[in-house]
This record gives sequence, C-alpha cells and structure tokens, in this order.
Amino acid sequence: MIELIDLVKHFAEVRAVDGIRLTVPRGEFFCVLGPNAAGKTTTIKMLVGLIKPTSGSARIAGFDVQTQPLEARRRLAYVPDFPFLYEKLTPWEFLRFTGQLFLMDDDAIARAASDLVPRFQLEEWLYKPIEALSHGTRQRVAIASALLHDPEVFVIDEPMVGLDPHHARVVKDTLRERANRGMTVFLSTHQTSVADEMADRVGIIHRGRLVAVGTPTELHRNAGTDGALERAFLAITEDNRLGDPSPAT
Amino acid sequence: MTRLKTPLGLLLWVNCLSAWRRLLALRHQSRLLMGVIGIFLVGYLLLSYFMFHVGLRFIGRFPGLGSLLVERLIYLLFAFLFLLLLLSNLVIAYTNLFRNRETAFLLTLPVPVGTVFSWKLIESTLLASWAFLFLIAPLLAAYGYVNRVEWHFYPTTLLLVGIFLVIPGVAGAAAAIVLARHLDRKTFQIAAVTMLLGFIAVVAWRFQPEAIAEEQLEARVQAVIDRLLINTSFAQSPALPSYWLSAAVQNWAEGALRAAGFFALVLLSHSLFLARMATRFLGTPFADAASSVQSRSSLFAQWDWFRRLELRRSALRAELRESFHAERRASQNGGLRCHPVWHASDPLDRMLRILGLATDARAIVSKDIRLFWRDTTQWGQTVLLFGLLTVYVINLRHFTRQLDSEFWVGLVSFLNLGATALNVATITTRFVFPQFSLEGRRVWVVGMAPLGLTRTVRIKFWLASLAAVVLTLSLTVLSGHLLHLDWLRILFFSAATTIMTFTLNGIASGLGVLYPNFRENNPSKIVSGFGGTFCLVLSLFYILVSVVTLALGSPWGWRDVDPQPGRAAFAWIVFVLFSILAGAIPLRLGLRRASETEL
Repeated sequence: MIELIDLVKHFAEVRAVDGIRLTVPRGEFFCVLGPNAAGKTTTIKMLVGLIKPTSGSARIAGFDVQTQPLEARRRLAYVPDFPFLYEKLTPWEFLRFTGQLFLMDDDAIARAASDLVPRFQLEEWLYKPIEALSHGTRQRVAIASALLHDPEVFVIDEPMVGLDPHHARVVKDTLRERANRGMTVFLSTHQTSVADEMADRVGIIHRGRLVAVGTPTELHRNAGTDGALERAFLAITEDNRLGDPSPAT
Repeated sequence: MTRLKTPLGLLLWVNCLSAWRRLLALRHQSRLLMGVIGIFLVGYLLLSYFMFHVGLRFIGRFPGLGSLLVERLIYLLFAFLFLLLLLSNLVIAYTNLFRNRETAFLLTLPVPVGTVFSWKLIESTLLASWAFLFLIAPLLAAYGYVNRVEWHFYPTTLLLVGIFLVIPGVAGAAAAIVLARHLDRKTFQIAAVTMLLGFIAVVAWRFQPEAIAEEQLEARVQAVIDRLLINTSFAQSPALPSYWLSAAVQNWAEGALRAAGFFALVLLSHSLFLARMATRFLGTPFADAASSVQSRSSLFAQWDWFRRLELRRSALRAELRESFHAERRASQNGGLRCHPVWHASDPLDRMLRILGLATDARAIVSKDIRLFWRDTTQWGQTVLLFGLLTVYVINLRHFTRQLDSEFWVGLVSFLNLGATALNVATITTRFVFPQFSLEGRRVWVVGMAPLGLTRTVRIKFWLASLAAVVLTLSLTVLSGHLLHLDWLRILFFSAATTIMTFTLNGIASGLGVLYPNFRENNPSKIVSGFGGTFCLVLSLFYILVSVVTLALGSPWGWRDVDPQPGRAAFAWIVFVLFSILAGAIPLRLGLRRASETEL
C-alpha cells in the first residue's frame, strides 16, 4: 500500500534521507521513530508529495506520488503536527469542505460525520468558529476531517500533541479500528510508548537511513534489550551514533 | 456550498466566507474607534479627490497645452503604478505561493496543482492590488468630474482597471515562481531589495533635473515643455499595459468610444491570454518550485567563500561544545574551570555593556537587534523607505532656484518634516506595533522572567525610539543643510522630528499592548488587524495635526503672514502638549495593561 523505493533527498551537501526502501502493506499500523532531525518529516513530505525526492520514488496504493499525484492523493490523508484549518469556518463547514474536495456528496459526508463527530466529541464545537477552539480540539477536527473520506492510507505526524489522555485513547482506538478494516497507517512520533502499544511494525530512521524495521519484539531481539521499546530505540540509535548506520528494509 | 462542486469554486467560497466573517467581526470592536477609522478613510478619499481635482484643473488651464500635460501625467502615473504593482505582486505572490500554510495543506489534497495555483494567483493579485484601487479611485473620480464625463465612464473604468490588474498579477506570480525555483528566501529578499534600490538609482540617474534659466521659463515655455514631454515619453510606449489602460480611460472620457474600445480590447486580450497561459501552464512549475523552496539550502552554500565561513563557524561551535563538556567534567570533579571561548562575548554584547545596560535589558536589546538584522523583511523595508526619502532629500540640492524664496523654503521644510514622520509611522506600525503580540507567543521566555512584560515594553519603546531618532535626525539635518537653512531652523526641525519620533513610537508600543494578537505569529497579519489599522490612523492623524500646527505657527512667517513670536510659542506649546497626549497616553495605558496581563 505504501512503497518507498530507494528514497533519497539531498539538501545541498546534506543527505537528509539516504536510500530508504520500505513497503507497508494494506491494513498495517506502521510507526516511524527517530531522533530529532533524523529525516522522518522529510520522508513524510516526500510520501505525501510536498517535496520531490532527489532520487527514488514513493507510491501510494500503487500510484506514484510524483507522476500520478491526484490518484495517490485521493487515497491518502495527511495530518501534520500543526494542521492547517480555516480559522473563520466552523468544524462542520470544514468537514464539508474537505469532504467535497474528495468528491463526496452531502449524504456521504453526513454519514461519515455522524460516526466521527460523536467519536471525537465534537458536537459541542461543531458550529463554533475554529479560531475559538483549543489546540487539542483543533487536532481532533483535523483528524476527523482527514478520516472523513475513508482513506486507504493515513499519514500522521505526532498525533498525540495537545490531546488529553481520553482523546489520545480515542485517536488510537479509531486508527487501530480503521487499520483492522484495511486502512494503512503511517505514524511518525517521538513517543516510543505509542509505537510500542499501537504498531504492527516499527521503523527507526536515524541520520537519514532506515536503520531498523520490525515488530517491537524483533527490534528488542536485534538490539539485545527487553522491556519498553524505548530501550531498543536508544540502543539502536546509540549503536549508530558514531558509525555509519547500516540500512534496514 | 453544495452547488459549488469544483475545487476552485469551493476554495473561493471558503475564503470569501472567511473574509465576510472577518468583516462581521468588526461589529465587536469599539464603535468610537471604528468611527475614527471610518472618518479617516472617508477623509482621505475626499481630501485626495479635492487635491486631484484642484491639480487637474490647474494643469488643464495651462494655455494651449493643458490637456496634453494632463494626458501625459495620467500616462506617467499609471506607468509608475504598473511598476509598483509588478513589484508588489512579485513579493506577495512569493509569500502566498511558497510560505503559506493553506498552500501546503492544499498540495496534499486531491486538488490539481493548476487549481491551487489559480486560487493563489487570484488571492495574491487581490492582496497586492487593493491599495492601488484605493489610490487611484479619487484620481479617476476627479478626472471624470473635470472632464464632465458621462455616468458610464465610472463603471467602465472600474472594469478596465480590473482587467488591467490581471497583467501585473500574472507577471508577478510567474517571476516569483522563477525566482523561487532558483533562489532561497533570504537571497530572494536580498535580490528584491537590491533590484528595487537599483531601480531607484536608475530612475535617479535617468531623471536628472535640468537647470532652467529664468528667461527660459518666461520666453521659451514651448521649448521647456518639449523637453519635459520628450523626457517622459517612455510612459506612452505602446508596449506598456499601463498605456493601454490610460489610453482606454482617456479616450472613453473624451467620448472617443471607438478608440477606447480598441485599447480596451488590447488590454482584455492580453489579460485573458496571460491568465489562460498562467492557469494552464504554471501549475506544474509552481509545484516544482514549491518543492525546491522546501528542499534547498541557501544559494550562498554554492560559493566557496561561504562554505569556508560556515566551516569556521562549525569549528567554533565544536570548540564551544567541547569547552562546555570540559567545564561540566571539571565541575563534576569538584573544580570549576572557565574556558576562554565559552565566556567570550560578541561585539554587540560588548557594545551594549559599554552603554551600561543591565543584564536583562541587554538581553532584550541584543535579541531584538539580532532578530531585526536576521529578518530581511524588517531591514529591507526600512532601507527602502528611508532610502527613497534619502534620494529625495539628496535631490534637494537641485532645488536651487527657489532657495531665495522664503515661501518655498518654508513649504519644503515642513513637507520634509511630514514625509520623515510618515516614514517613521510606517515603520512603527509595521514593526513596533506587533512586538508585544510576538513576545506574548514567547511568553514562557520573557513573560516568566523577572524582567516582566512592563519593563520589556519600556525597553522596546526606548530601543525603537532611539534607533528611529538616529535615522530621522540624520535626514532632518541633511535636508536642512541642502536647503541652506540656518542652524536655528535646523534645530527647530530637529527638535520637532525628535518629539514626533518618540510620540509615534509611544503610539505603536502602547496600542500594540492594548490590541494584542497572541494567536498570530506573522507580524504582517497582526498589523493588518483592527489594532494595527487604528495605530496607523492615529499616527497619521497625529502627524497631520502636528505639521499643520507647527506650520501655521512658523516663527519665520509665510508669504502674507509676518513672523509672530507669540504665535510661534503658542504653536509649540500646542504641539508639545498634543505630542505628550498622543504618545504618553497610549504608552501608559499599554504599560498598565502589560502589568495586568495574565500569563
């Protein structure tokens, strides 16, 4: 469902992403971890088509993001860490707007919203201007609007920022449920606990390379650690701190 | 919203709805303040209309050549406005296409890049052109009235102007795409400022004043007018879109509808052609450039000298890091070892120490100076505004013939005072007003420090005022010198400039605290809100009242008014009191509000 094929991105002399090769099948919940400036966001930006790779390609549901962008984006939903929302619209207007951009008719929008709005507890805020909402409520509006068109691939960057434990739980459960129904989730986070709890597989990007991929158990085995995923993460990134990290696929 | 199914229709709908709600939100603002702004805007339109009307009638009465001179003036005005529109569209299109969160959001949706570009082109053109419409509306109204035109002149002209605006809009957006593809943001801004300064230099060189003897003005008017017309004939180049617009408008006003129709069609065909080409072919280059903007390091990085400089900086940083670790290790081992590099201060810090500033004040001043220097927009706009004023002041040396006339010297001196103050008002509204709102976002640093917000506002006021006074006083002294003013007059205008500079900074600092916008981190958007508009209106009102008061009470009198020391003293008392009221009240209210701000 997601294919990153020898993805490379150079910023002048810096190799921000250095030959990432990865396939995430349909219905998998994939978490990507990595230290700051490891190349996670650059990878996501190439995956959603915001920047072009220096070489290699990214495919969504079999469609090349660069050469078949509309086909790829129709099947994709992307929520960045600070999502853009129209401040003067209400959440309901924003939901309808995004639904219509995905060519949904009013009935389909209403059906999808009738599930998502109560789930994310947005009823109280539905007709209030977005500018009056808290950061967490905005985040919920953004996630709900991204899920509205029932995407095949869901890419989300730091989804738990600003969410209280209750709504973080709602987001996790919703994404898990959708993944079980076939939606591919590609989640970037710094919270190893989220990856540990949610991910079918975890990828660790370090200095532009995908240095480890596998289930949390496999990562522990490779790193020679046990317990929280954080230990495996620290061990793997520490191992690769001084030397040239070797890529994983 | 249901009927508008196309992506472009949806985008237009959503943004029009947002704009409408922004307008409705004004109902919640103070009626008094809204009234003041409304009166000011209407007053500006009426005053401009009156001045254009008087000016056009005066020039039109010139024996035998009046209509020719008016015609040339219209061509010239539109030609220069066209150039300004090009620059304005270039800068706004760059920001709107490549530094805009809505654009990034839309580029991840199943919206064709051509549609995203088309919407951003419309938005940029509107943003870049509304001030143009505001500027020319009173001129065209006065022109129509002087020429006793039919009613249909006004809607036709509005339509023609609308069609005309497409051309600089498309050209600016296309240029922004090309530049974005090849230049990073900082290099682009530096290039834009350099190009504009180059343009000013070329204009200054191209339009050298020509010395005209007294006898020429009296006996050889025709020859002088001929030279004037030849030197400005570029404005009637048929290749200029402004020429098509001016010709269409003027022919329509004269009732030559056939000729007007011809130029209107030339304008329309070019606008339609360019708009179609842009929406059809610029989508993909825009997407490529958007990717480049997010992918590229500085253009400077391609140059060896810059790389060497960066290497030296990296080495210094590594040394600092190492010294930090060494110090930490030393302190952990019980000793404390100071590394010379770790404790070295930079030249700015050393300079501020010499001024005797306290550590916390020094930190704020140092931070603000660094941010100003590193933000190309801030210093670029300051350089442009004061650069233009400097070019004007330097050209005063050609103002030789009228220097014998007390009236002209007095008039130009007071106009210079007004122009300098207007520049200061622009700078203070644009850069000083949003300071508190921006600090509010960094409240965890400044607001929580023992320094406190009140003292922060006070420090910012003094820093901005002193920096502005250096510029304004230099210009005042220079213009006084070039006008051959005596030292007493230079002192007079220097004192007035200093007081006005502090007052304008007081207005901007105070209102910035009274009307904060903590949600926005883009200073230009903070300024475009209600508080920023009110700040600009109040500043302009203050300048108008101050300059008129000082001019009416000029100690050197006017053509029909002898100098009267009593009146001059009274005017100064009124000016100083008004300045204290206008500057100190907002500042004090702002300081009080800052002390009460709940973090």
